[in-house]
Amino acid sequence: MRIRLTLGLPDRPGTLLKALEKIAMNGGNIISIVHNREQLTGGYVPVSLSVEFPSREHFERARAGIEESGIPVLGTESLERRIETVIIIGSLSVDRLEKVFEGRGEIISLAFGGGSRSPHMRVMFSVSSEDRETVLEALEELAEKNNCVLVREEA
Amino acid sequence: MIRCGIVGHGFLGKRLAKHLTNYKMRGLALTVLASSRGYLHSPTGFDSDGLPADITAHPRFKASSPIEVIERGLVDLLVVLTPTNVYSGEPGLTYIREALKSGIDVVTADKGPLVVAFRELTSLAGSMGVFLCYEATVGGGIPVFSLARHSLRGDRILSIRGILNGTTNYILSRMHFEGLPLDLALQEAQMMGLAERDPSLDLEGIDSACKVVILANALLGADRRLEDVKVKGITQVTSDAILAAKELGMTIKLVGSIEGGRLSVAPRLVRLNHPLCVHGSLNAIQFKMEILGDLTLIGRGAGESTVSALLSDIEWILAQKEASREGR
Repeated sequence: MRIRLTLGLPDRPGTLLKALEKIAMNGGNIISIVHNREQLTGGYVPVSLSVEFPSREHFERARAGIEESGIPVLGTESLERRIETVIIIGSLSVDRLEKVFEGRGEIISLAFGGGSRSPHMRVMFSVSSEDRETVLEALEELAEKNNCVLVREEA
Repeated sequence: MIRCGIVGHGFLGKRLAKHLTNYKMRGLALTVLASSRGYLHSPTGFDSDGLPADITAHPRFKASSPIEVIERGLVDLLVVLTPTNVYSGEPGLTYIREALKSGIDVVTADKGPLVVAFRELTSLAGSMGVFLCYEATVGGGIPVFSLARHSLRGDRILSIRGILNGTTNYILSRMHFEGLPLDLALQEAQMMGLAERDPSLDLEGIDSACKVVILANALLGADRRLEDVKVKGITQVTSDAILAAKELGMTIKLVGSIEGGRLSVAPRLVRLNHPLCVHGSLNAIQFKMEILGDLTLIGRGAGESTVSALLSDIEWILAQKEASREGR
């Protein structure tokens, strides 16, 4: 899994190396490092790392290791995106649909069919692997509330 | 000689009876043919040319309850093929319960009793030291339970999913290939004898949900009931929606699944090259195994093929009896 880690690095030589060691020890492969030296606040330099970890457990171990060595982890974000397609049979407003994706996914395309007699919409969206199930469940709930059927893909 | 009776003299009962008249050499005689209205007893066993088309018209037909067959000790093995009620389990539940209590082995294709009282019946069979076999309840002739219990016993089942209802699969296939609306595809299925006159159990996903319950209880050690399954049928699926799926190289199928303790039945988008994407009245069942990975079984899920599953259960019981006689 690919993760973006934002660390608050104390502005002292050698601290980045400590964090990198923890990542390497847990099988992390560093894809990129961005040092935001100009954003230095309160003695900390925010550093963004994109890392490929073998699994979530490896990532969690690395994160714990980094924090134990005194480097705060300011944020994490999954960079793994999945493209999903669902068909919603029935009539549903696009506004309500868009609300489901707020902050956790993006609609790539919307296609309408079936006319007014038997309407459906085909929704293609991108979502992080972590949010996938939550978004699908929210869509299912929305569909049910509006007497629609959500048809999701069988993996 | 093992004396066998069949309760339920419909399509399956008649087909099975025909096969069982050939079993005398194997030590099994078909001695009772019963329906909910009564029974016909032949102490020496029916022959294939002596099988009545209508048991109630036979001069020796005894109008009574099939329970009398059990109480009078007329059989050692009872095959229960009565029409199922998935909410009460009756009348099959009473027949099976009473048979097991009386030390009679039971083979059944009746889903209702197993959906309503799976643990009760399997525990009862265990405590009485008799067999309760139900291969025919899921996937028609597909050897789901025997395969899982015998060939897969060294591995662990992680999840199960499948196309478990031939009627809805036929309807969805006709909608996919011919663009038929649901009501027309349903009428066609009814004309072909694939759908009941009241097709609601199929269309609303209840039949698939029953099979999901039996699979979960029998193969994953669960103790679930029909109300534990999240069910959505195909009544709202339109041919336009299927067309929209088709444009993406997919179709819509009614999929039953057991995954991470969640039991569900719902219309799903399935890629046309997915192993579960079978058409017509076929069924498909996929096991996800810890070591083996995915294993998919495809076969005819209803009609004559179900007799194959019933015979497999009967053969298995005969083999067990033979083995215990020989002290193996």
